[in-house]
Amino acid sequence: MNKKRLSYLLMGEAGIGIILILLCGVFTVFGRNFATGGNMTNILTQISINTVIAVGMTFVILLGGIDLSVGSVLSLCTILAGLVITNKDMPVWLAISLAILAGLGGGMACGLFNGLVSEIWKIPAFVVTLGMLNMARGAVLLISDSRTIFNFPRSFNVLGSVTFWGVPLIFTFSVVIVFIGYVTLRFTVFGRMIYAIGNNEEAARLSGHNIRFYKVTAYVICGATVGIAAILYMLRLNIASPILGNGFELNAIAAVVIGGTSMSGGKGSPIGTLIGAAIMGVLNNGLLLIGMGDFARQVVTGFIIVLAVVLDTYRAGLSRMLE
Amino acid sequence: MRKTFLASLAVLLFAFAAVAGEKPVVGLVMKSLANEFFKTMEEGARKFAAEDGTFTLIPVGMNSETDIDTQINAVENFVTQGVDMIVLAPADSVGLVPSVKRAVGAGILVVNFDVTLDKEALVANDLPEDFLFVGPDNEEGSYLVGNFMAEKLGRGSKVFIIEGNPGADNAKQRKAGFMKTVNEYGLDLLSSTTAHWETEEANTVMTNLLTRYPDVKGVMCANDSMAVGVVRAIEAAGKIGQIEVVGFDNIGACQELIKEGKMLATVDQFGPEMAANAIKVGFRILGGEKLSGWIRTPVQVVSAKDF
Repeated sequence: MNKKRLSYLLMGEAGIGIILILLCGVFTVFGRNFATGGNMTNILTQISINTVIAVGMTFVILLGGIDLSVGSVLSLCTILAGLVITNKDMPVWLAISLAILAGLGGGMACGLFNGLVSEIWKIPAFVVTLGMLNMARGAVLLISDSRTIFNFPRSFNVLGSVTFWGVPLIFTFSVVIVFIGYVTLRFTVFGRMIYAIGNNEEAARLSGHNIRFYKVTAYVICGATVGIAAILYMLRLNIASPILGNGFELNAIAAVVIGGTSMSGGKGSPIGTLIGAAIMGVLNNGLLLIGMGDFARQVVTGFIIVLAVVLDTYRAGLSRMLE
Repeated sequence: MRKTFLASLAVLLFAFAAVAGEKPVVGLVMKSLANEFFKTMEEGARKFAAEDGTFTLIPVGMNSETDIDTQINAVENFVTQGVDMIVLAPADSVGLVPSVKRAVGAGILVVNFDVTLDKEALVANDLPEDFLFVGPDNEEGSYLVGNFMAEKLGRGSKVFIIEGNPGADNAKQRKAGFMKTVNEYGLDLLSSTTAHWETEEANTVMTNLLTRYPDVKGVMCANDSMAVGVVRAIEAAGKIGQIEVVGFDNIGACQELIKEGKMLATVDQFGPEMAANAIKVGFRILGGEKLSGWIRTPVQVVSAKDF
């Protein structure tokens, strides 16, 4: 491996990976039972939902956009899927399949709305998705009459705690999503266009590309990942609730940014996002295991988010120097 | 802004209609109707109003637990309209006191329920310290359900407390009740951690605490939503039957868990009747009775034998 490639790796995704490994090292030394198979399984379970949402968010942020609505849309998707899955008139396999479609469809519809409105009327995504945050929350409260849905089919509920050699099933789903996201962005024309538009929208427009199509599609993809995350949430906790998901958008954005994706677009990848989500999950888990109190934990987590982004600014400069 | 405006509009319309009807008008200011607990409370009050038929009820709810503005506006609109009674579950026990002061000054009877107004703030606003309050004893409830668990586990057992929002009054009171149990039964409190009333966060916290303290025997949760997440964590760890869980609120999902034997008990504070009870107390005062201080509403432990 030549020097340039190595330095590129260290400064890129591998760089954040090193932060993750350092954190794990610290917690292994100071945290009781941190470095055990059982605890690794737990951390993987805990980051699955955020990872899936954050992959969708990566598409949107790569285009210089943002989606603040993911938390309440997630809640809406769980209730839509929950209403279908508890329908006793259908065979269980049909109810589960339709529930997954309901979750996915709900998420994609919200994403389509976000994308279309912000593109057709040139409204900042911040505003449109803030509106959607409220619309989805109101809608889910209306639909559910503010009640939690439970009593899912037993066969569905047990899936949530299934693990293969310590790897939770729901985490394997999120790894698949990360992989699909990575391949799409890296090896398809569609993905390369996302980077091109994120880097220089005007240049992409002048070379005759339909920018609007790509942007709207990115929001639909984000909505779809939220729909999938909703199903994972139901697998993990066996409830669908109209009040869940508060603040999930911030966790997803944090994972994307810690993972090295630039808020102004054009730079980053779902692999980095996965590592970003893992850093947040490890922090959350490890700080508790070393016995840190609630408030101090919040301070430290916030500080690490800022630190990661500060390091990121140096990273960009350093990698330029090394080239 | 928009929701505040709509809420005001609704209050105005209702109030005009009500004043025209000449029945006494009761303004009910609720906390977040997104919370199942308050939703059933509001329904209970509506049902009571419909059955009673001697007064007009105008309920107002908020969109989130922390939306203090909407509550303040609702109280002020009720004052402007000159309702006969305001029944208030404050979102902030200090922030609502000046509005209460204005209502009392305008000669409107204010009945405080669910969460107590802050004593210092009351005194600072020249209101009596023992301002009328109708509500459950949160501390008593969590103490009772904590004891129920401690009886089953035995003295000196290892336990966790999963707390509600730091700073929320009912979270503090419930923790105080659990702490009374801990002291009385000499329980070994391994950790007391917040999960902000949320299922997912409680699931994460419980899973992580189980890693640190695999030998825990009991968990006391400050509400049932968190108990759901805790039970799921125990289930995922394959420890159902080895760890007892108690909660607070008696929501449907937890009743199911108790029936399945995955959860030991919860506390019913009779939410659906709580607002109705407060209105009844208000009418006793309007009828000439002198009442003040804390009028306790019942709390009861609910366990498998109740189903």
